[in-house]
Amino acid sequence: MQSIATDPLTTGQTAVRVTNLAKAYGDHVVLRDVSLEVAPGTVTALIGPSGAGKSTLLRCMNLLERPDRGQIEICSHRIDASKAISAKALAPLRRSAGMVFQHFNLFPHMTVLRNISLPQQRILGRSREEADTKSMELLARMGLADKAKQYPSRCSGGQQQRIAIARALALGPEVMLFDEPTSALDPEVGVEVLEVMKELAADGMTMIVVTHEMGFAENVSDTLVVMADGGIIEQGDPQRIMRDPQHERTRRFLRAVLER
Amino acid sequence: MELLKAIALGLPMTLLVTAVALGIGSIVALPLLAGLRSGKTAVRFLTRAIIDLLRGIPPVVWLFLLFYGISAGSFRLSAFGAGVIGLGVVAGAYLTEIFRGALGGIKAGQWEASEALGLDRFTMWSKVIGPQGLRVAIPGFTTYAIGLLKDSSIVSTIGVAEIVYLTQQSARTSGQGITVYFIAAAVYIMLSMPIGMLSRNLDIKMRKAVAR
Amino acid sequence: MNTIFQDILDYGPALLGGLRISLALTGLSLLFGTILALVFALGITSRNKAFRWTSTFFVEIGRGAPALVLLQLMYYGLPNADITLSSFTSATLALTWTASAYMAEYIRGGLAAVPGGEIEGAQALGMSQQDTLRYVTIPQGIRIALPALMGFAVLLFQATSLAYSVAVPELMSQAYSAGSSSFNYLSLFIIAGAIYAAISIPATWLSVGVEKHLAKHL
Repeated sequence: MQSIATDPLTTGQTAVRVTNLAKAYGDHVVLRDVSLEVAPGTVTALIGPSGAGKSTLLRCMNLLERPDRGQIEICSHRIDASKAISAKALAPLRRSAGMVFQHFNLFPHMTVLRNISLPQQRILGRSREEADTKSMELLARMGLADKAKQYPSRCSGGQQQRIAIARALALGPEVMLFDEPTSALDPEVGVEVLEVMKELAADGMTMIVVTHEMGFAENVSDTLVVMADGGIIEQGDPQRIMRDPQHERTRRFLRAVLER
Repeated sequence: MELLKAIALGLPMTLLVTAVALGIGSIVALPLLAGLRSGKTAVRFLTRAIIDLLRGIPPVVWLFLLFYGISAGSFRLSAFGAGVIGLGVVAGAYLTEIFRGALGGIKAGQWEASEALGLDRFTMWSKVIGPQGLRVAIPGFTTYAIGLLKDSSIVSTIGVAEIVYLTQQSARTSGQGITVYFIAAAVYIMLSMPIGMLSRNLDIKMRKAVAR
Repeated sequence: MNTIFQDILDYGPALLGGLRISLALTGLSLLFGTILALVFALGITSRNKAFRWTSTFFVEIGRGAPALVLLQLMYYGLPNADITLSSFTSATLALTWTASAYMAEYIRGGLAAVPGGEIEGAQALGMSQQDTLRYVTIPQGIRIALPALMGFAVLLFQATSLAYSVAVPELMSQAYSAGSSSFNYLSLFIIAGAIYAAISIPATWLSVGVEKHLAKHL
């Protein structure tokens, strides 16, 4: 039933390990046996044309989408997708992976402060005071302390996304997953969010980022992963890939993006 | 079975009251709709007041007002007359809102295009706005019609011999109140189902006709 | 006109006493109805068969049968099963049934309208299913359903006038008995209508206001 094991040998080298992950919607194959390893403290950028399976891969990592088979291991919490997954096994994996969505997914009926504090109370069992203190600390770091009592609808997109990042960080994740965090934002607003992400990277957070921001992918990430047609076609040093892509699909994609 | 027969005798009257009230309501709704869309503030205000008043007072009060309250000389409304007029004018107010909502759902571009093309008002309403509005209004209209079918039971309180009136009678004479009322409930539920289905079919057909 | 003022003086206290009963009937059936509605809303989508069928049974009859039928079932029908309730109790039961059935549908609709992203957000944070339901889906769903629920409360208040037919001494039956003693039904029903309108119309405005206010936050 429940397949979570701690393997102390692997924890040092990998923060995230995905092995032979596969997913299809009926006949439509979205992921074909994808394997990926992410070292602790590094930033991995996932790029590629739309429909390549980037978001699906990311969403499979914390089981928002159920892969058909394959293994997922985040910070020694391991899940085998081909077996039944219990809520008990899922909780620690999700706790160690924070997720940031394209459309923020804040809770519109709660104030900004409650958005960040409630999960801490419910998941980490913090008292309301402890949680609020932590939330305010994070909001201050994001430059949004004055928004604490407001509702999300009163905040700009860039502010909402930073609040969403704070909400995820408040749970003390070891890995952060970003699913196109700036795609729903105007470029000048997206910059605010990218700044926060850069700071996070500099602090040593392990990050996996699905993005269309080539500047971020090239300059901030340590590893670039290029996906197409449900598989990884190329990965390695971002500058090298940008300069000298090996794969024809990568070349085509980069040309299309850079010429835009 | 005997009980079912006794109750079913009221079925034609229930349907008649519902249909006539719906007809009166649809007719009443048109001037009210025009009033709401009037350019004159006073007319809009007055229409809004009429609609709010019609909806703000329970139907049974309207029925009693018409049936017991209005007697000029020897003139008095029959129970049926008071019933359908009362339910009808209240329905008019609700239907006005449904039609108004449907018109609001038509994109501004449709009006603009009609005007830009120089269509006269009649053509605009009968060929462009009307058909689109009708389609949008159908689900709301049928929901209201099903509601009205049940509300028509209120006319039993002034003695119109429809389903509930006969149910009450047979409950009294048969001594099987629970069964009798559950049969009545089942009859209403059975009646609502085909109307709902008809509306969905109509909706799909109209959607095809209008959307493409 | 003069007779109306005279009637207000003569029968005002009796009518207001009736109004109090109408309001009590509304309040109680709203209270019990809301609690049951939440149970039924979860019930009709439940995987547990018994729970789903019971909920569906009550909701379908509550919505499908006229309130008048349920009122008379409770008052004239139940005594056949040797259950005799006071007119007020049976009216409360019947209107609670109607109210819970309609409100269950509004709440179910509200729950279904909660954006999937918000539920995913809660899941990604690692919140348990119960917590997601309790802190995200239910509060958010009820907010979405709130304007419809408030609109329904107004209709329920109006529906209490039907309790007249099962001998509850509410506003309508006070107006009727006053009318039969003064022989002026018209003025008494006008007064009663005005009282209903004075409550229903502002309450409707309130629900529209709430709808506009909530629309800003969603």
